Amino acid sequence: MSLLSVEQLAVSYGDSRVLVDVGFTLQQGEIVALVGANGAGKTTLLRTLTGLVSPRSGSITFDGQPILTVPPYERARLGLAMVPEGRRLFQGLTVRQNLELGSRAAPDTSHKTEDIDFVFELFPELVRLQNRLSGLLSGGEQQMCAIGRALTARPRMLLIDEMSLGLAPVVVERIAGVIRTINRDRGISILLVEQDVGLALEIAARGYVLDTGRIIIDGPSSELLLRDDIRAAYLGLQ
Amino acid sequence: MLAQATVNGILLGGLYGLATVGFSMVWGVMGVINLAHTAFITLGAYVTYVLFERYGLDPLLSMPLAMASMFVLGYGIQRLILNHVIRTSLLLSLVVTFGIELVLTDATVLIFTSDVRSVNASYASTSVAVFGTLVPVVRLLAAGLSLALGVGFFVFLRRASLGQAILATALDREMSNLMGINPQQVFALTAGAGAALAGAAGSLSSMLFPVSPTMGVSFLGAVFVITVLGGIGSVEGCIVAGFLYGLVQAWAAYWLGTSFQEIVAFAMFLGVLVVRPQGLFGRAFFGEHA
Repeated sequence: MSLLSVEQLAVSYGDSRVLVDVGFTLQQGEIVALVGANGAGKTTLLRTLTGLVSPRSGSITFDGQPILTVPPYERARLGLAMVPEGRRLFQGLTVRQNLELGSRAAPDTSHKTEDIDFVFELFPELVRLQNRLSGLLSGGEQQMCAIGRALTARPRMLLIDEMSLGLAPVVVERIAGVIRTINRDRGISILLVEQDVGLALEIAARGYVLDTGRIIIDGPSSELLLRDDIRAAYLGLQ
Repeated sequence: MLAQATVNGILLGGLYGLATVGFSMVWGVMGVINLAHTAFITLGAYVTYVLFERYGLDPLLSMPLAMASMFVLGYGIQRLILNHVIRTSLLLSLVVTFGIELVLTDATVLIFTSDVRSVNASYASTSVAVFGTLVPVVRLLAAGLSLALGVGFFVFLRRASLGQAILATALDREMSNLMGINPQQVFALTAGAGAALAGAAGSLSSMLFPVSPTMGVSFLGAVFVITVLGGIGSVEGCIVAGFLYGLVQAWAAYWLGTSFQEIVAFAMFLGVLVVRPQGLFGRAFFGEHA
């Protein structure tokens, strides 16, 4: 059974149809990429998955349970954690306070310190920054804190929106490595939403291509990377 | 006499700060300008008055009861009415809270009439010497307890788990929702806490001022000025700005006459809006995604 299953999802903002008919699945333990151009509806799809946006129609099933009517704070407690575009840290709070806030959605909050230590193992640079206001960190450090904040919730699934945006290539490699690690060692499933199609397909085993509100292509990453249409449209290769 | 005015101003300022904390927090956390806030001050004073008059309960002992009853009222109004209004528009929340203020004030008039009452504790006429000036002990108590409650609330927000949830919701409502925090519940608890602090301010005021259905509204100007002066949603800002407001008013009255004290206070308000619109304590990054 899939961990996440989305069927015939349609979302509109007023008269404009952002998602027309989106369906995809994600198995327990998988890394799946969702790619597409700017304005394809990727962020809207993530916001619908977390419950911040209500769809016009369709269904979302998480771990066998329909979650369309479940509010965002309860979806978080079910194990659905989000690393949003632009990080969206609580900038007026310290790094540690951000990590502590993340752990509020954990199924058992008694492991808070342990979970924060796990984040510090993944990102040792956060240790000396833990009492600094998160708004004062560099972009890369903020992204590490944002991923850490999602991990302290002990999620079953991470939704990561534009992980690489605005970061130096060396930092992106670093974070990509951590994503693979938590997937492999902790079994956390990951939905990677990226404009950088090459990067996303390199990390993920499978991919979906979203174009103007529809999934137009899907398949294993290795196949997608070889398709001429994808190479031309998203990788800038002929 | 300048020393007397200064001490009086500072002591009253403590009370003004406490009267403002809840209003500022509600504004900062949910973006609602709660015009019913001053009604909680009035009702807190009446709770203390009734308990004093009927049962001879000391005002300081009835303060926790005034706070508890205002918490319930503030929480209930938020849960039943304002949580539904928030999602619509700022204008509607202004209209609705103004309506609630009218209802609560009129209910007070119905129950207690508009007669002016007073609460005279046994120590009401006792004074102590502070820096060579004689200060009524009730004023000292009011200022000290106001400061203690304000500082206590500040520590609660920074240290307690629920306080962190309130701060996170003020900083970024959507993200705190994704952290497993129910915004509707945080709103109701914030409104309850804000009303409780206003109730405490009313309870303390009843020892200093005549108790009447309009006593709360007389704080409204001060509440607005101190909120903006301290920075919206900043508890520490409220406390400091409260003292500052009290001091400026007292000095204005001393040098220019009592008819000038409001003018000077509002001139200070406009000055802050022009020079430092985020308020004296407007924090870095605060409310960036609000």
